[in-house]
Amino acid sequence: MSAVAPCKLKASDYKSGTKPVWCPGCGDYHVLASVTKAVAALQLAPENIAVISGIGCSSRLPAYLNSYGFHGVHGRALPLATGLKVARPDLTVICASGDGDGFSIGGNHLLHACRRNIDITYIVMDNEIYGMTKGQPSPTTAPDWDTDLAPGGTGVSPFHPLVIALASGANFVARAFSGDVKGTTRTLAEAISHPGFSFVQILSPCVTFRPDQRDWKTKVHPPPVEFTTDAAQAARRVMTDDGFNIGVLYKGSRDKYNQSVEREVNFECDFDGEFLV
Amino acid sequence: MSKSAETLAQHFTAPELLLHALIIELEAVQSYKDLAEQMRECGNKDVAELFEKMSVLEAEHAAKIREEAKDVELPELAPWEYRWSGLEPPENIDLAGVHYLMTPHQALTLALENEVSAMAFFDAVAHDTADDKVRSFAQEFAADERQHVAWMKDWLAKYPPPDDDWDYDPDPPAAID
Repeated sequence: MSAVAPCKLKASDYKSGTKPVWCPGCGDYHVLASVTKAVAALQLAPENIAVISGIGCSSRLPAYLNSYGFHGVHGRALPLATGLKVARPDLTVICASGDGDGFSIGGNHLLHACRRNIDITYIVMDNEIYGMTKGQPSPTTAPDWDTDLAPGGTGVSPFHPLVIALASGANFVARAFSGDVKGTTRTLAEAISHPGFSFVQILSPCVTFRPDQRDWKTKVHPPPVEFTTDAAQAARRVMTDDGFNIGVLYKGSRDKYNQSVEREVNFECDFDGEFLV
Repeated sequence: MSKSAETLAQHFTAPELLLHALIIELEAVQSYKDLAEQMRECGNKDVAELFEKMSVLEAEHAAKIREEAKDVELPELAPWEYRWSGLEPPENIDLAGVHYLMTPHQALTLALENEVSAMAFFDAVAHDTADDKVRSFAQEFAADERQHVAWMKDWLAKYPPPDDDWDYDPDPPAAID
C-alpha cells in the first residue's frame, strides 16, 4: 500500500483537468466517480497511484485521473500493469479495461495475472459490447442479442469472468454496478486494500448501443449471503446466480507474488542501445 | 437494495443530517456540471445551459447549508457510510434517464424528480425523528426542496413535451439498429 497523503484529499483532487468524452448517460462516469472516491477514502497520494488501461471506452480512465497513467495497447493492460508493479512495488497499481479488451483480446493475460497473484486491482467495465467501435458483440454478449452486426445473435455462450478469475487464482473477486456509486466505492476500496490480485467486474451500461441496459439499475441486488473464503463455493454461487448479484464474492488468503525476488535482479542494461534513435 | 428514509431517520444526529444535506447539494452541483459539459460536447446547447442553471441553483443551496453548519463539527464519513434512501443522494441525476438528444422538458422532468425525492427524504426524516433539532433542520430543508419543486414545475410548464421523434438522429452513432 502506498504512503498516506500528508493532508486530507478529496475525491475531486484525484480528477485531472481533462473532461471525459463518454456518451451522456454512460456508466463509466459513475466508475470514474467511484474510483476517485475509493482512493480518497484510502487517502492514497496521487503520485503513488498508477492507472494502466488498454483500449476502449473504459480505457480512457487514466486520462481523467490526476495520477500516473498509461493508456496501453489493446488487451495488454495487464502485462503493462504487471511489469510496473514488479518494478515499482511501492505503487498502488490499478488496471482498467472493458469486456472486449479484457476478456477477448486480453483474455489470456487475465488467466496469468490471476495465477501470479501480483498485488494489482483489475477493474473491468462490462457493458457486454464493443462500444467504441460501434457495437459489435463482445465475449459477455448474450448469444441471442440480435443486431445487424450479428444477425440472429452470435449463438455463442458468454464468457463467465468471475468463474474464470476464481479458477485462475484471483485473491479477491467482486461484482459491482456502476450506478451504485456508494457500493462500488466500497468494493473498490476493499479490492485495493486486499493483498494480491483483485478482480472487480463492474456492470457499466452502454446507453448508446445497449439502451436496454438502462434497466440494470432495477435488476441488481445484493447477494443473499456474505462473501466466502472458499473459491470452489464462490464459483458454485456465481455459476448459479442471475448475473446481477453485486458485492464481494470471494476473499482469498493466498500469498501475493513475492516481490522481494525482483529486488535482487540487476535491471541495469544499455537501454538506449536497444532503440534506434 | 435500498433502505427507506423512514428507517434511516432515527439514526441521524443533527451534525449527520447537516452533512447529508450538504453532500446532497454538493453532489448535485457536480452532477449537473458534468451533465452540462456532456451535453455541450454533444451539441445539445439548450439542455447544457439548463443543467448549468441547475448547478448554480444547487450551489446556492449548498452555500446556505454550509453557512448553517459553520459552527457545527461535521462528522467524517466514508463514502459508503452515507445513508441515502436509494443508491445515490436524492438529487443526483439518474444517468439511465439521460440521452444526448434529450429535450429541456425531459431534463427538467428529471430535475423535478430529484427535487421531489430530496423533499421526500427530508420530510421522512422530519416525520420520524425523535430529536427536535434534527426535526427542525429536516423541516427547513424539506421546505427549501418544496420551493425548488414549485420552481421546477413553473419552469417545466414553459417547455413543451418532446415530439415522438425527439431522439431521431440523421447521423446516428450506432452502426446497428
